[in-house]
Amino acid sequence: MKKEISFLLNGERRTIEVSPSEILLEVLRDRLGLNSPKCGCDRGDCGTCSVMINRKTVRSCLILAIEVEDQEVVTLEGIMQNGLTPLQESFLKHNSFQCGFCAPGVILSTTELLAKNPHPDKEEIQEAIAGNLCRCTGYSPIIDAVIDLVK
Amino acid sequence: MAIENQFEYIKVKNLDEVFGLFSRFKNPVILAGGTDVVEFLKTGTLQPNVVIDIKGLDFLKDIRLGNNILWIGAGVTFSELIASEIIKEHFPVIAEMSKTVASVGIRNRATMVGNICSAVPCTDSGPVLSVYKANVITASQMGERKIPIEQWFVASRKTALFKNEIVKGISIQLPEKKQAGCFVKLKRYNGEDLAQVNLAILAFEDYSFRISFGAVAPTPVRAMRIERLINRMKIVPELMEKAKQLVEDDIIPITDIRATKEYRLHMAKVMLERGLNAALDRLNGGGPAYGTSVI
Amino acid sequence: MDEYKFVGKSSVRVDGKVKISGAAQFIDDLDFGPNLLYAEVVESKFAHAIINSIDISEAEKIPGVVKIVTGKDFPFRFGLYMHDRYIFAQDRVRFVGEQVAAVIARDAVTAKAAAKLVKVDYTELTPVLSVQQALGDSPFLIHPDLKDYHHVPWFFPQTNSNVAHLRKVRNGNVEEAFADSDFVLDDVYTVPRYAHCALEVHGAVGLLDHSGRLTVWTASQSPHTQRHLFAEALAPLGFQHKDVRVITPFIGGGFGGKAGVSMEILGAALATKVKGNPVKILWSRAQEFYNTYQRQGVVARLKVGVKNDGTITALEHTLYWDAGAYVEYGANVVNAAGLSATGPYRIPNIKIDSYCVYTNLPPGGPYRGFGYSEFLFGLESHINELAKKIKMDPVEFRKKNAIREGDRLTYGSKMNPNGLIEAIDKVANEIEWGKKETSSDPNKVIGKGFSLFWKAPAMPPNASSSAFLKFNEDASLNILVSGMEIGQGYLTVLAQIAAEVLSVPVEKIRVETPDTDRNPYEWQTVASHVTWGCGNAVKQAAEDAREQIFDLIERANGKKREELYLEDECVRSKVEKDFSLPLKDFIISGIQKEDGTFRGGPIIGRGMFMPEFASALSDPETSQGGHPNVHYTVGAAAVKIEIDKQTGKVKIPKVVLAVDCGKAINPDLVNGQITGGILQGIATVLYEDMRFDNKGKLINANFSDYKIPTAMDIPDEVVPIIIEVAQPDGPYGARGMGEHTMIPAAPIIANAVEDALGIRIKSMPITAEKIALAVKKKRED
Repeated sequence: MKKEISFLLNGERRTIEVSPSEILLEVLRDRLGLNSPKCGCDRGDCGTCSVMINRKTVRSCLILAIEVEDQEVVTLEGIMQNGLTPLQESFLKHNSFQCGFCAPGVILSTTELLAKNPHPDKEEIQEAIAGNLCRCTGYSPIIDAVIDLVK
Repeated sequence: MAIENQFEYIKVKNLDEVFGLFSRFKNPVILAGGTDVVEFLKTGTLQPNVVIDIKGLDFLKDIRLGNNILWIGAGVTFSELIASEIIKEHFPVIAEMSKTVASVGIRNRATMVGNICSAVPCTDSGPVLSVYKANVITASQMGERKIPIEQWFVASRKTALFKNEIVKGISIQLPEKKQAGCFVKLKRYNGEDLAQVNLAILAFEDYSFRISFGAVAPTPVRAMRIERLINRMKIVPELMEKAKQLVEDDIIPITDIRATKEYRLHMAKVMLERGLNAALDRLNGGGPAYGTSVI
Repeated sequence: MDEYKFVGKSSVRVDGKVKISGAAQFIDDLDFGPNLLYAEVVESKFAHAIINSIDISEAEKIPGVVKIVTGKDFPFRFGLYMHDRYIFAQDRVRFVGEQVAAVIARDAVTAKAAAKLVKVDYTELTPVLSVQQALGDSPFLIHPDLKDYHHVPWFFPQTNSNVAHLRKVRNGNVEEAFADSDFVLDDVYTVPRYAHCALEVHGAVGLLDHSGRLTVWTASQSPHTQRHLFAEALAPLGFQHKDVRVITPFIGGGFGGKAGVSMEILGAALATKVKGNPVKILWSRAQEFYNTYQRQGVVARLKVGVKNDGTITALEHTLYWDAGAYVEYGANVVNAAGLSATGPYRIPNIKIDSYCVYTNLPPGGPYRGFGYSEFLFGLESHINELAKKIKMDPVEFRKKNAIREGDRLTYGSKMNPNGLIEAIDKVANEIEWGKKETSSDPNKVIGKGFSLFWKAPAMPPNASSSAFLKFNEDASLNILVSGMEIGQGYLTVLAQIAAEVLSVPVEKIRVETPDTDRNPYEWQTVASHVTWGCGNAVKQAAEDAREQIFDLIERANGKKREELYLEDECVRSKVEKDFSLPLKDFIISGIQKEDGTFRGGPIIGRGMFMPEFASALSDPETSQGGHPNVHYTVGAAAVKIEIDKQTGKVKIPKVVLAVDCGKAINPDLVNGQITGGILQGIATVLYEDMRFDNKGKLINANFSDYKIPTAMDIPDEVVPIIIEVAQPDGPYGARGMGEHTMIPAAPIIANAVEDALGIRIKSMPITAEKIALAVKKKRED
């Protein structure tokens, strides 16, 4: 029942054998060595498992690995292959993150937002990251960094 | 948490393949967005022997308006509904509802058809499709069926779908009369939440109304008594009060972890009043922009 | 005027880049190779039951199962302040979810499947699910052996009861004072349990190698304390402290929940059963909710007397804490709260009784605020009501009774320097206190609420910090400490302190997460004390290094040390303007003399800080005579809310919080604590709502039904105000503030609700539902 699938992962064509019951989050972390997507709740409630499939942010804990055959998967590692993005630089400068556990998910959600809306207002930013729970920051330092970037 | 149960996975290329799999396998499960299905696979609530991925069926991704009929394919996600110009212009209450579902990351995968197939009492799509008098189009080896939405929800988590059938999509007749509407969703806070109560309203230019409540009965309920009371009437304060009273007759809320019966009943009345006012204001060119919560 | 070059600046965090690039490693990111085993626990489904037998025969047969372990394998008690807890339940279980056995297998799926096959036979006992039940007539004793438990000398278990500890504070004569008061207000306030909900769950990996070396990687705030408790608990197996090593990577939030030892001991214990193999145990989100420390619930009765002129005469505060099945850590919450349950007020007559009560619910423990968040809801609500009764402005009332430097604390010592009055004035000004506002929407009302707050670190009197500081060839340096970066920015603050002393810029300083083998002792990263305690140790280490540098220059170059100073990573002279020796020229290699010999060598600094004035010993009946708290951090907060009277929903246009942190070493980080903490506090009062069923099972152990704030739930405006009244014994005057920002949240909201609606709600959470139905009821009455 295992199947060999091929897909684009952070711009590189990868081929692996997966069993249908394997979850994308676990395959990315345990078999493909990408640690940025995290397991915070395993139910799609917290957003720490976020990755991008075909440029859209999704919850990798609710996706079977086998579903990404022939798709384009991007994780935080892929976003910054050429160094920190201007978005990340802004987060850095603003000291936006504290424990850092939610950061990969937030960065992906914000990256998706800016790709379709280069000048979001505060409410639009809030909506974009509403699915990324953060217990440390109170969110405003994250939002301020994005507003500063797009102004 | 890996899935304990083992199953086959097939990404189908056409509907006939689906029907073939239905006859080959005892326990098939259809997979579109997966935000419900994968969770159920992980918890063991679903233990299929085959998972049939329909995301490869392009024709299920359509949002089309033709001959005054809107077609939403089974593979259309909530994000796509929000982004669709057709929906925004002609069926704004669908977009308004879609924006309240979970969060962006879920909406990028979750489908409206998936939402009505899981048929939980707090479904957000249910009341909206109810007031638009949608039809659920199913397909099987035997052909297609057109199931009116009021027959679709049978009980909590039970639909009219037969065992060897698949939902192709939803069709909605574009209302002839000019109309406006409102979707109101009561949550415990602004963030992602399942509805404690939800409500969809359409107000037509002849002041007839369609009103459907969710999360206050095992299935979405059309508030027929209230509609009969206010249809083609000017809703003066006394009439509004009477309408709010009738809420008690049209819904049967329960107390559960999300809210008490008492609060649900109280809020259903508040939501009815504010929803009707917003729908009427929008009908007359004003009112809050679609996507603004009235509660 | 810029007094300092590095201290007081909002430097970019030293761990910023590693976190933003996703390179930061948390416990579940560490790779332990193909031999890693996985453990899954078998949990009790009863809140209170005797374990008759455990049958592992079926589970053992599953291929891939390596070992199954039960309580018999580890009959050892452990705990931080009290030894009342077990690695696995022994003869009985005391809360739903308590671990009774564990399966270790080659993969996680097998471990889980096999765990389901372990059969446990129980005899159910009546669960004690409330304080009332626990204290009622002939209650079931949850810990019948209470009198045999080791505990710190300043705990007072009440034997033959479910009271694990009773902290009594007495000063003056409250009965006389009440009789003498113009008004006495007596009321009861109820605060339920809460969950930390750090985004990262608890986890541990243990490895006992064949040489007898036990290494445990844990997501923990307290590596040294963990090592100590592991070594203590497993001493019967022959371990010495030196054989036990704890390594803690970055953690995804702690908030107190990852302090002490809860599930991490499983990593250590299980490792001893599978020698040579690393074994990992990672909690699910559900277990994170029901089998880690919870914030204890409390029912508090407050009786306070006032004079018409606004003077508070007496306070009687009786607190009954629902502390859960094991109180080895939670009993100190009860203790700390008891000692400070007057709030930051001068009150001459005091009677406080703080009861730590066992119940068959998950163990209570440390949570940001450590008892102060819990009791301040009642106290500051009560203060507001008192002000109303004597028709005095609530802020004026607070200001009149606010504690000042030198005032007597509940236990007799003196209050430290503090900016409480300044905080009150600034907050009142910012929230426009006194200006009544109305909403343009007829359905909505606006209210404002005010609260003071205070907290002292709750620690043993000898909690200590130490630091090593070592230079590298290029004069960059490493600071080795065992405090934990839990998000608060602690590593950065230490770097800034060292930078200030040594003139090495923050970007050239590395501070890493600790390894107990390499990094010197730190008690725990809790109590908002590491900036103060470890900051002092690091400052000392930096000064030690500086002294060695000056010593060396004096010896080797003949300069007088009093004339030397450090600037721009060079040693310079106040008298010789041209003298500028770069640190990198000698900091490792030493200074070469004309004859080719060298002086000096690698410069290593050493620092240690332990307060020598604190003492937990006092009169057990009155708590008088000790000095249990090193100092208090104070502040004030206020909120403006807009309530929709029909829906009960609360919008927050503005919240203001001023905290006296002595010296903000990094203002950005202080503001970060204010913004994050106040939201976490607001969540407890508006929508976090833990629900247990009538058998003691937590029924909303997930984020779908235990709601924590999202980006859509933030106040419109958060105004942080930094007050700086120096802490004399703090590094550059700093004192801690990380917990404090959460503490006033509940009372400011409760007071604002009362201001807006005239309705006083005395139990948390104050949900939209509670408000809407209260408004409805008030209208109907």
